[in-house]
Amino acid sequence: MVGKSKGLKISLMVLVYALLILTVLAMLVPYIWMLSSSLKLNKDVFSFPMQWIPANPRWENFQDIWTRIPLGRFIYNTAKLSVIVTILQLLTSSFAAYAFSKLHFRGKNAIFLGYIATIAIPWQAYMVPQFILMRYMGLNNTHLAIILLQAFSAFGVFMMRQFYQGVPDELCEAARIDGLSEYGIWARIMLPLSKPALSTLTIFTFVATWNDFLGPMIYLTDTKLKTIQIGLRMFISQYSAEYGLIMAASVVSIIPVVIVFLALQKYFVQGVAASGIKG
Amino acid sequence: MQNETILRTNKSPKSRLSRGLRDNLVAYSFIAPNFIGFALFTLVPMIFAFILAFVKWDGANPMKFIGLDNFSRLISDTTFHKALWNTIVYTVGVVPLTMIVALALAILLNQKIMGRNFMRTVFFFPYVASLVAVAAVWNFIFSPTMGPVNNILHLITGIPLEDLPRWAADKQWAMFTVVLFTVWKNMGYYMVIYLAGLQGINPELYEAAELDGAGPWRRFRNVTVPQLAPTTFFVLMILVINSFKVYDIFINLFAGADNQLNNATRVMVYQIYNTAFRSLDYGYASAMAIVLFLLVLGITIVQFRGEKKYGQ
Amino acid sequence: MPAAEISSEDKGDNRMNLKRFYGMTLATALSVSMLAGCSGNNNTKDAAATAAPASGNAATASSEPSQEPVTLKWALWDWEATAYYKPLIDAYKAAHPNVTIEYVDLGSTDYMTMLSTQLSGGADLDVLTIKDIPGYSNLVKQNHLEPLKTYMGDKSIDPSVYGGTVEQIEVNGEVYALPFRSDFWLIYYNKALFDKAGVDYPTNDMTFDQYDELARKMTSGSGSEKVYGAHYHTWRSAVQLFGILDGKNTVVGGNYDFLKPTYERILKEQEDGIVMDYATLKTSSTHYSGVFYNNSVAMMNMGSWFIATQIEKVKSGESQSAEWGIVKYPHPDGVEAGTTLGTITSLAVNQKSKHKEAALDFMNFVTGAEGAKVIASTGTIPAIKNDEVINSITSIDGFPADENSKAALNTVQTYLEMPIHEKSADIEVILNEAHDNIMTKNATIDEGLKDMNDRVGQLLNN
Repeated sequence: MVGKSKGLKISLMVLVYALLILTVLAMLVPYIWMLSSSLKLNKDVFSFPMQWIPANPRWENFQDIWTRIPLGRFIYNTAKLSVIVTILQLLTSSFAAYAFSKLHFRGKNAIFLGYIATIAIPWQAYMVPQFILMRYMGLNNTHLAIILLQAFSAFGVFMMRQFYQGVPDELCEAARIDGLSEYGIWARIMLPLSKPALSTLTIFTFVATWNDFLGPMIYLTDTKLKTIQIGLRMFISQYSAEYGLIMAASVVSIIPVVIVFLALQKYFVQGVAASGIKG
Repeated sequence: MQNETILRTNKSPKSRLSRGLRDNLVAYSFIAPNFIGFALFTLVPMIFAFILAFVKWDGANPMKFIGLDNFSRLISDTTFHKALWNTIVYTVGVVPLTMIVALALAILLNQKIMGRNFMRTVFFFPYVASLVAVAAVWNFIFSPTMGPVNNILHLITGIPLEDLPRWAADKQWAMFTVVLFTVWKNMGYYMVIYLAGLQGINPELYEAAELDGAGPWRRFRNVTVPQLAPTTFFVLMILVINSFKVYDIFINLFAGADNQLNNATRVMVYQIYNTAFRSLDYGYASAMAIVLFLLVLGITIVQFRGEKKYGQ
Repeated sequence: MPAAEISSEDKGDNRMNLKRFYGMTLATALSVSMLAGCSGNNNTKDAAATAAPASGNAATASSEPSQEPVTLKWALWDWEATAYYKPLIDAYKAAHPNVTIEYVDLGSTDYMTMLSTQLSGGADLDVLTIKDIPGYSNLVKQNHLEPLKTYMGDKSIDPSVYGGTVEQIEVNGEVYALPFRSDFWLIYYNKALFDKAGVDYPTNDMTFDQYDELARKMTSGSGSEKVYGAHYHTWRSAVQLFGILDGKNTVVGGNYDFLKPTYERILKEQEDGIVMDYATLKTSSTHYSGVFYNNSVAMMNMGSWFIATQIEKVKSGESQSAEWGIVKYPHPDGVEAGTTLGTITSLAVNQKSKHKEAALDFMNFVTGAEGAKVIASTGTIPAIKNDEVINSITSIDGFPADENSKAALNTVQTYLEMPIHEKSADIEVILNEAHDNIMTKNATIDEGLKDMNDRVGQLLNN
């Protein structure tokens, strides 16, 4: 039944590809500019007409970013925070989401609604009370403050719950009849089935922690504890901004996140129901 | 429904009594690790912020209880109204556009096409990149007289440069520019959620639909859309919430060295931030936050109901 | 490597928990690095231990800081990019070996907000750098700053050496900070461009009209060859504050109609292509230094902080306008030349500091004559501006050699960019927004000024 319009299909494919390639190019333009700026002197970054390939590429920019600020230390700090936060977030979120999705208990809807509603409150509104609390607990200027701040978000619970909703209830019931405890079901059925969701949450949490600026800015005033986003801002000083270095540091800082993304994206194709349990 | 099943399969009537309690406890034990951390470090400060809405406080000196004064001030505060309005316009612009683009991308990049992994990465890129850097790039590209966008438009249309939109610098075009930027920056994020959601759909459903003679559109309508419902609900919620909470994007795109927005670009969180930290009026800022909260809570409840109805 | 160390004495228990936590979850890298960071301070401890403890009567004890080892935490911004922080600390430590000074860099964007948040949370900062007046007035309101009048009396600190700026930051008869750095606005110009155009250099006595005329004369070319006669950076102060130089009005007065001629003149220049378009500058994040370096502008009004940067960038080759000079700020008709805008950077002491006496002493050093000498040696203009200080700056290698440039550093009257006012933070927000609307032509001049009048008026009546 496909045969009748093979020609049409091919031309459609060509069209789709052409469109895609065009979009991809449009998406890449800012990065090409970023890369090219990272090889320029600050004063040339915003000069017109723009030079896509710098006449005298300044490879020194990529050296300077390591010596001008302790970028290596910042990357280490950021990576450490991102990894710990991501692991905690994955564990606690998927655990709680299981209850919200597959168990029945008193106050479930109320708690859940309250949970998501809190996502709606901008952090700026309770930043100061939170800061006072953290200081009171002696957590100011510790990485632990950032970890505790980021690891237990309602967002992760919400997201995992939505994906668990897609897993048929019958599966859990069957497992219960087989004598699996709820913990067993979570560990042996839900976790393996939710690999795409877990990878998504991993990427999101990792990126969010990696790119967080205001949190580290307030909690980490000690240079040794600072993170990469604060480092980037260090090239913006009161009377000047060194965009060449900012772009170079941005290029460097994007690499680890892209690696995480590439490593995890293979799970987007190993589907939940691919094993054909449903129905 | 689930409870009934369990009860029916339960052979011992003795343990049935404690069943409810035990179920509750098991469920609570699942929630606890996240909830305790969340309650301590987020909920407690949040509740404190709520109380602030009823006091006058500058962040250091003793607080003064003033009842609902902060809220009645909101009623006549025209700058706040402007911020609220801009936020709503922004949300209305961003949410549907992002959803459509993200879903289209996800479906496309879920097919077995050439360079799929590369393209997924490219579309996710903007979300990952540092906002400082990409906002600078955008502003440069959309620069009114010298940026490439306007110069290309000038070449194509022949309209003089001065008459072309001045994008981020233009009262009329600022919102359009920021919506476009947001969609560009965040579509990869929602694409990833949709991609993960698409994995949850049983391929047998498509096969069955195809056997029934359903074309691509009907397969999309009758399989993809309903199967993606929980994902769509989630995307919608997060999009709405994030749009209402927008701050960083506006600051990086519009604010210069003074970190300030004007009437055309003022948004709610900016107003909250400024009120709290520049005017040192924490109570008033909290009252604004509560308005934001109630708005989103209302939308959440509506959507929650919608999901339940749609999900059955 | 001076590092802002966490002092652990006031949170012993939590520190224990923390250590356990890190021990369980992570490698001990963090605590190792902390030990390494501390090692630099050991010498000072030994030195202090051998020094004789302070004795004698109460009067000498208060004027003579004790010899106990003290660690002061100094809140500041741009540690890396600022030349004088380290020399100041070194100079102070040479005289006071028992004092260790650690910096806490809060970043320059939103510095005052960060500082206020830190202080509200009870951070143990001792010495506080004050970046701007609105932020200062907020900290005063929040009771974070130690009043200084009594201390100044005890130490017989004469406020008149600061050229009238201390009086301008008085709040209800009390002073909460002393300036150590005082920048004022100048005209920078590109000599090579003037030579090429065959136009006489700007002088130390120009009215607004003469400046405008000169800028028009110097505008030439198009495309990438275009030279703009003048350049206004996107800060409000670079344009709006021409209006206050006649001393008749302030920007906290509530009526802004006096700004109309200023805006008319600048917008006309913008329309005529004499200066770059504000909207373009702002959206493309164009930095004033870039256009000056690239020989795109003939004249530019900017603060004296740019002197040191320009000297340095000429040396490094980044600035291609190697032939340059400075002259005094243009002024309204009937006002003496040398009248200009100024901005001060000051030091204050945290009211809740545990080492108040030592902190005050350090502040006294930095804001005093000795500190001024150190600051001037880095090419920055200190708050105490005497002949010695000016000579020290003009004799820096790379400072323009002509007499006019040297004379330009003498000012007769400096108006603070933002005068002290209880609501200066809110007023500034309104003014910035309205200014932006006028300059981007999202509002006409009249609409913009009306917006200022209405909103500031409402604020002042509240």
